[in-house]
Amino acid sequence: MTENNQVTLTINGKEVQAEKGTPIIEAARQNGIEIPHFCYHKRLSVPANCRMCLVEIKGAPKPTPSCYTPVMQDMEVHTDSPVAKKAQKGVMELLLINHPLDCPICDQGGMCDLQDMAVGYGSDRSHYQEEKRAVEDKNLGPLIRTVMTRCIHCTRCIRFATEVAGVPEMGATGRGENMKVGTYVEKALESELSGNMIDLCPVGALCSKPYSFTARPWELEHTDSIDTMDGLGSAVRVYHRGGKVMRIDPIENNEINEEWLSDAGRFSYDGLGRNRLTTPMLRKNGKLSECGWPQAFEAIKEAVAKAKPATTMGLAGEQLSAEDLFSFNAFMKQTLKTDNVDARHDGSTVTAGPRAKYVFGGGVQSVDKADLVLLVGSDPRLEAPVLNARIRKNVMNNGLKVLSVGAHSDLTYPVETAENTAQVIEQIAAGEHKFSKLLEKAERPMIIVGAKATLARKDAPQLFHKLHHIADAYGVVTKAWYGFNVLNVSSTRVAALDLEVYPEQKGKDTDGILTALKGGKVDLLVLYGEGNTHIPVADLEGAKTTIFIGTHKSAYAHLADIVLPSATYTEKSALWVNTEGRVQEGKKAVNPPMQAKEDWKIFRALSGELGKALPFDSQQQLRALMIKKAPVLEQVGELVTPTWEKFGVAGKVKNEAFELPIQQFYKTNAIMRASQVMDESQELAEARKAAQQTKKAS
Amino acid sequence: MATKQPHTLKPEDKIFPNLDGSGDWTIKGYQKRGGYKGLEKILKMKPAEIIDQLKASALRGRGGAGFPTGMKWSFMPPAGDKPNYLVVNADESEPGTCKDRDILLYDPHTLVEGIIVGCHTLGAKASYVYVRGEYVDEADHLQQAIDEAYKAGFLGKNIMGTKVDVDIHVHMGAGAYICGEETALLESLEGKKGQPRMRPPFPAGFGLYGCPTTINNVETVAQVPPILKKGVEWWTQFGRPNNHGTKIFSVSGAVNKPINIEAPMSISLKDLIEKHAGGVIGGWDNLLGVIPGGSSTPLLSAEQCENVLMDFDALREEGTGLGTAAVIVMNKDTDILRVMSRISRFYKHESCGQCTPCREGVGWVWRLMDRLSQGDGTKEELDQLFDVTKKIEGHTICAFADGAMWPVQGVLRHYRPLFEQRIKEHAAKKDIKVKSA
Repeated sequence: MTENNQVTLTINGKEVQAEKGTPIIEAARQNGIEIPHFCYHKRLSVPANCRMCLVEIKGAPKPTPSCYTPVMQDMEVHTDSPVAKKAQKGVMELLLINHPLDCPICDQGGMCDLQDMAVGYGSDRSHYQEEKRAVEDKNLGPLIRTVMTRCIHCTRCIRFATEVAGVPEMGATGRGENMKVGTYVEKALESELSGNMIDLCPVGALCSKPYSFTARPWELEHTDSIDTMDGLGSAVRVYHRGGKVMRIDPIENNEINEEWLSDAGRFSYDGLGRNRLTTPMLRKNGKLSECGWPQAFEAIKEAVAKAKPATTMGLAGEQLSAEDLFSFNAFMKQTLKTDNVDARHDGSTVTAGPRAKYVFGGGVQSVDKADLVLLVGSDPRLEAPVLNARIRKNVMNNGLKVLSVGAHSDLTYPVETAENTAQVIEQIAAGEHKFSKLLEKAERPMIIVGAKATLARKDAPQLFHKLHHIADAYGVVTKAWYGFNVLNVSSTRVAALDLEVYPEQKGKDTDGILTALKGGKVDLLVLYGEGNTHIPVADLEGAKTTIFIGTHKSAYAHLADIVLPSATYTEKSALWVNTEGRVQEGKKAVNPPMQAKEDWKIFRALSGELGKALPFDSQQQLRALMIKKAPVLEQVGELVTPTWEKFGVAGKVKNEAFELPIQQFYKTNAIMRASQVMDESQELAEARKAAQQTKKAS
Repeated sequence: MATKQPHTLKPEDKIFPNLDGSGDWTIKGYQKRGGYKGLEKILKMKPAEIIDQLKASALRGRGGAGFPTGMKWSFMPPAGDKPNYLVVNADESEPGTCKDRDILLYDPHTLVEGIIVGCHTLGAKASYVYVRGEYVDEADHLQQAIDEAYKAGFLGKNIMGTKVDVDIHVHMGAGAYICGEETALLESLEGKKGQPRMRPPFPAGFGLYGCPTTINNVETVAQVPPILKKGVEWWTQFGRPNNHGTKIFSVSGAVNKPINIEAPMSISLKDLIEKHAGGVIGGWDNLLGVIPGGSSTPLLSAEQCENVLMDFDALREEGTGLGTAAVIVMNKDTDILRVMSRISRFYKHESCGQCTPCREGVGWVWRLMDRLSQGDGTKEELDQLFDVTKKIEGHTICAFADGAMWPVQGVLRHYRPLFEQRIKEHAAKKDIKVKSA
């Protein structure tokens, strides 16, 4: 019984079925037969050059590369016949003759494909007696360390850079045994995805520079969690040793990140350990000094007693989980009895209501199916590099057309850009713009709205009204297709809106709070977490007492009179809502440092001290209450397509440009700001930008 | 043993009468020799007719593999949405081979005319000639010939009112042997690193820029118009069945008069050397062996040379091949092991580096050959060398590694005693050194 697109073949005498066109290597893997390979990777093109996956096919004159050969009806494949084994063993010996075999000092040792395959398919000794090759190392910047002598020329890094990252900077020079992999001109890679090459490299030629010589794989414990550096919520594995995060790698999640991770998510972990707030602090004689939790609580009690609810205000920042936001909101509104709370520190006034206006409702995966993408005030390369790679994949494979209204960096694929003003949206809605026709023709058009550049605008309601109109008029949202997507850079924002962390009864919002601060009318300001660079820290001065609850000794902490240390994303188990509105659970990998505590415990304890205890004693109780408030948070892991309801307010949009959403990619949150590796990357990116500008000017 | 064949061609039967460079190579001289005459008639023939005639002529590709040209051309789909291309392989780099060089230098119009006919037959409007990087003068001559042909109306749009459009572009390589492999040539022509592609898809379906493409050697393309003009019968009078036609042989090495000579196919090797190349230095009895078709074809021993005919089938029966018909003659003054070691070094230098076995292995083989040819090694290493060649052969994308391994396997097969003798001598020398120390 074979279906139309299924073929039956035998592998090692076992009859198996596989989809037509599947490479033998995949068909074998699906049936539990591993074929050794180096150059083959399912997300990259197939060059068939490592020759490790040679198998015997009955009737073929020579051993055949199983990565390149598709399955065929009645094919008879042998992966362990004498012919196949001899080929594999021969190739393995040849791979090793010029490999330095310096496994004891190699960071890849213990998680190395070459090592594993050599044990499985190699010989216990080499016949090679001649001199070995040595290759000079390349400087690829602060993220990737190279030991090029170890390179086995599988070209995965070259193909990744060219095909996925869209920066054709890697290549091979030279011929034969003198072939060298590297950048043609020695320089750091201009990609926000460069770290993925480290994962792809099957040997220790490309290693993580920050991880170099810090740990061995078998010393590490690992915890699967969620990345919070951007709004995607990529799946990551956090490796740790002795309570310290040593390394972060992506894991496969086809629905979101495939198996990629942005450099921000991968390399910012040194920021988890640098400059941390480890004990509560109190300002004495103008200087912050360490104190215990009881003293800090005592001080807060005094400050709260002196402040009226109307002059008590709270601002929440970034990198906060749903639990964090919920407990903060409850603390402010129930314990401190004030409505002057806002998590929208960019000054936007969007509220819950139809979820469609602030989530990437179609899901990241739907990008693969779109045949036209209209970017509105979005720069996906910097807002969500992994998503950008996905768009690029569709552009390259299916010729997806990308249109843009707004400022953006080089997106690594062709983009048709309209004049950067919101009025273009008005024209498109009226059918008067050249994009209107393209939208009309498209079968599955998608709009990606950059939250940062649009929602904080004063005319956001009008703009979103127009976008809703466009979505209706051009079939962006139909019964079969949901293409209206809002891209949040923040891992916090969707949860904040779902949980209504903003004034619900005419309290002061961000703008109101800032005005009050300027007027000196704030008795107590609770700063929770760090915002990004939207609000200059100086504008937060002016409260009689400022409490900062956060993770890092940053400018925010210096502003405060009372400082409470909280936990970063690797230090708490919590729910994170990504830009799709998908709820995912991040797991606690390590404990918060020293006296720092998990955030919800701080608010619970403090509320008790203040005599108005929050109604939960455990995280379970907290979650139950939270889900009561926002039932959508119950469906962990599921993508919930939002219902398509009216949003926005009719009216004219302003003739204003969309701002570039991200100015400093490597400095978007507290952890990244504390990270030395991100510092170096940012410096490099800025030097590059400056060099380009001088080049342009001359 | 096959019957003896004639060894000379009448001047009027030569396709490349100016191969020796004695005459005028420009369009004037070419037309005086009868060039471009009858081209109009050919361009009015239907492509299918031309292919039928080529099939009947049994013309086999002159680039080395000897694939029947008529059949190759019949694989091309008619021009559809995508353009068809004819690519001419003038990246002549096989050691010993220099036939295309003289065609380009002294009779470039034969190629131009061949391309016009080829493009018409294959439904191509454009043709690319990929010229070896070192062939600077040759490319200049070809370009001049093309310019002259444009001027005379043999190239461009609507050639001689036949509605055939042909443009020829000359592209210089950068001096890589592997770019003579047809798919590596295409990669290089597209501006990428010259590395062979996996097949399928074959170039006839997915070639240059993803379009249907036929790739032929210079000599093959140039031989097509004379076959069509003079007829299949004229062509098949030369050579044995399935090996018909004339062929340029490049004879080099230990001969008195190294030469590029156009002769009938199936000429005997002895005639070729004795009658055309002035004989082996030191006389026929001084002959050690012959590489009959460029460095990647295995060696013929002196005994085999006595009666062998120079054509595809006869040489294959002898365990070697006609290749590019570049005959490298070695006499007894030659150190055969050093020659083979040098050839190995050439392959080590020219491997593209794509496939593991070739990239890593060819260097290993060279290093072993280099040592063992001087006797610096052990008998066991001879077996090991053979074993390494077997690990490489047949395990790569293209045939480069096979071509690099066959000569080594050949020399191990035929000259193992010589190796062993060297090893013994070397060991003895070492002993003396040890003793004196």
